[in-house]
Amino acid sequence: MKILVVDDFSTMRRIVKNLLRELGFTNLDEADDGQTAWPKLKAGGYDFLVTDWNMPGMTGIDLLKNVRANPDTAGMPVLLVTAESKREQIIEAAQAGVNGYIIKPFTAATLKEKIDKIFARKAG
Amino acid sequence: MQNEEDRLELLEKAHQLIESIENNDDETAGDLLNTMSVVREKSLFKEVGQLTRQLHDSLASFALDDQLTELTDKEIPDAKERLNYVIEMTNEAANKTLNAIDEVIPVTNEMQRQSEELSKKWNKFMSRDLSLDEFKKMSGEISVFLDASCKNSKFVHEKANEIMLAQGFQDLTGQIIKKVIGLVQNVEDSLVELVKFSGPVETGSAINKEEKGKLEGPAVPGVVVEGAVNSQDEVDDLLSSLGF
Repeated sequence: MKILVVDDFSTMRRIVKNLLRELGFTNLDEADDGQTAWPKLKAGGYDFLVTDWNMPGMTGIDLLKNVRANPDTAGMPVLLVTAESKREQIIEAAQAGVNGYIIKPFTAATLKEKIDKIFARKAG
Repeated sequence: MQNEEDRLELLEKAHQLIESIENNDDETAGDLLNTMSVVREKSLFKEVGQLTRQLHDSLASFALDDQLTELTDKEIPDAKERLNYVIEMTNEAANKTLNAIDEVIPVTNEMQRQSEELSKKWNKFMSRDLSLDEFKKMSGEISVFLDASCKNSKFVHEKANEIMLAQGFQDLTGQIIKKVIGLVQNVEDSLVELVKFSGPVETGSAINKEEKGKLEGPAVPGVVVEGAVNSQDEVDDLLSSLGF
């Protein structure tokens, strides 16, 4: 399984990648905002997207909307990992078709739980 | 004086005034003085009128510009809270990291001591210098050491993970600091507007704000964000209420 990790802060990308590696995911790639992530996703080969919301260029929510609007990527599970905690935003993300929503700061256990849930759903 | 024409007219009258005084013509001199002061008063009134209008406009726009009120009432105190929270978060992250290191170092020191000791005995065994009793003792020690190594490696691994997660502060404090930089920019813009207001001609326009869809960034204790959730559990509850 190939995962794309998108965050404008390189430290957070490293943390998420390390945690994913701990969970047994080794095929990881990264991008620093939606604008650099989107061409990668369009080119194909990714199975899962973990993205931040607030990023310059293209935000995570716009990236999510792009993913859902493109037939090639529409079915890809997307997990938002963000500091944004307003209800209005969580609802917006849900309406845009997010598969999981984690607020920062988060724990390794939360990440594992949400990922397990996403893939259990996908399998079921 | 309004313009050149007015100036020349006044000059002409002044000449006539001097002439009439020299000629002892009090009546003409009196008339001329009256006319001149009326003109003077008129232009003075006009200028006062203009100034009053400007002041009124400036005060009206100033009162309407709630940007400054918002900045001083809410955003600057919020910025202080945010920056204090940055100090708190960096402090917490540094302490978490240092605590984890404090816990790890004695464990790795002990492991190193034990492996050095066992290594000496093992070398003795390899050069057939170890008695049977010593060998039996060493076997027991190796067994204990291997168990401890498994346990300790796991412990060190957990601590390394704690250290890694603590580095999340960089992203969160970075976001908070970016917001404060934005606020400083707003203050600068508002001050520029203020300078424009106090200038003679220009009137300022209120700065438009984008409230809807504005991203709030990391939650900061003491800074109330309307409609924000307080924990991951609340996010989960909200999403499950939406059928997730």
